[in-house]
Amino acid sequence: MATVPGQLIWEIVKKNNCFLVKEFGRGNAGVQFSKESNNLYNLNSYKHSGLSNKKTVTIQSVGKDQSVLLATSKTKKQNKPESLLHKSVMRKEFPRMAKAVVNQVADNYYRPDLKKAALARLSAVHRSLKVAKSGVKKRNRQAVKIRGRK
Amino acid sequence: MCRGGRMFAPTKIWRRWHRKININLKRYAVVSAISASAIPSLVMARGHRIESVPELPLVISDSAEGVEKTSTAIKVLKQIGAYADVEKAKDSQAIRTGKGKMRNRRYVSRKGPLIVYVTEGAKLVKAFRNIPGVEIANADRLNLLKLAPGGHLGRFVIWTKSAFEKLDSIYGTLDKSSEKKKGYVLPRPKMVNTDLARIINSDEVQSVVKPIKKDVKRAPLKKNPLKNLNAMLKLNPYAKTARIMSLLAEAQRVKAKKEKLDKKRKPISKEEAAAIKSAGKAWYQTMISDSDYTEFENFTKWLGVSQ
Repeated sequence: MATVPGQLIWEIVKKNNCFLVKEFGRGNAGVQFSKESNNLYNLNSYKHSGLSNKKTVTIQSVGKDQSVLLATSKTKKQNKPESLLHKSVMRKEFPRMAKAVVNQVADNYYRPDLKKAALARLSAVHRSLKVAKSGVKKRNRQAVKIRGRK
Repeated sequence: MCRGGRMFAPTKIWRRWHRKININLKRYAVVSAISASAIPSLVMARGHRIESVPELPLVISDSAEGVEKTSTAIKVLKQIGAYADVEKAKDSQAIRTGKGKMRNRRYVSRKGPLIVYVTEGAKLVKAFRNIPGVEIANADRLNLLKLAPGGHLGRFVIWTKSAFEKLDSIYGTLDKSSEKKKGYVLPRPKMVNTDLARIINSDEVQSVVKPIKKDVKRAPLKKNPLKNLNAMLKLNPYAKTARIMSLLAEAQRVKAKKEKLDKKRKPISKEEAAAIKSAGKAWYQTMISDSDYTEFENFTKWLGVSQ
């Protein structure tokens, strides 16, 4: 459509959308998060929004562990949600995945302002997959002897 | 007498039930809602699951109007990728919270797709109406409450081909006035070109804009002149010489005092002591032998001192 995903959509969507999370702040909605899948920092802001940008990047974990999905949205297919995302599943060591992310996001001038965010999210997802694989940190179940107290 | 009292603010039948809204406003709203249903971002923001919908606005062929059985209706929805939204609506059926439960509003659920058809009495109505979340509407009678439920734009709408084509004749286009609504033309947008980024970067704007200030001047840290000599000199250049003078004078004073003390503390030589003693005696003599004094005679008498 000839619409402008961009400032116009953002003005409509920023205050009210189904992904908005407003709980965090000291008695107010100090930080606003967003649960969209195309949002790299999960922050409700124009730059990171997955709804109001033509070019978005998303990094998620796929069901099988250790594989990460990197998807970018195609600019020509804005009104075809099925074929909107260019997906690729990565199952490599971390440095190579990081290089792939940088190539797709920054080096081809797609969204160079999202490079740091994409890498940060990649690290977070990768780490969560490692934790999921090896289990949550086990606490020491042996009773700790406190000397000097009965 | 019966107790109990009366209800707070008894509901009256002369409550203002009706609202008059300008017909143009009503049409503006419907037209905005229809156009919002074509923007995937807005439909997703409203909460519909349209990730697997092939295209938005979603238009299916007129053969869907002949669907008779609900089971085939579900198959149709699955084929066009709309079933995820239906599933969302089905999973969300819950008992309402609050007193509405006992006031004939027991169940709530999310809204699913809205299906728009054309021919009166199409079988599709009966086939689709029992699917949870799905609503149907005739293109001639589009209800704003269904196009923008809760006042939120962007309902997921599934059009049949003829319904979609009929929209042009009902509401007109930007150039042509509507056929069905006498004298109605689609509203003009406030901004023709809303791509702000493009406007800002355009030649017309950039050629008139002042250049960017790359080096941002930051305020320097304030230094205390009383503690920092250079800060003081910036304000009062004479302070340097004044300070040097005061230092020299101080050194001078210290030296003089030291000498004085040393002199006093040094034991004096015999000649000096003798000289001091004789000087004292001589002075005493002058005191007692001063002849300018008028009553000198009486003075010598009771002093008993001879010259």
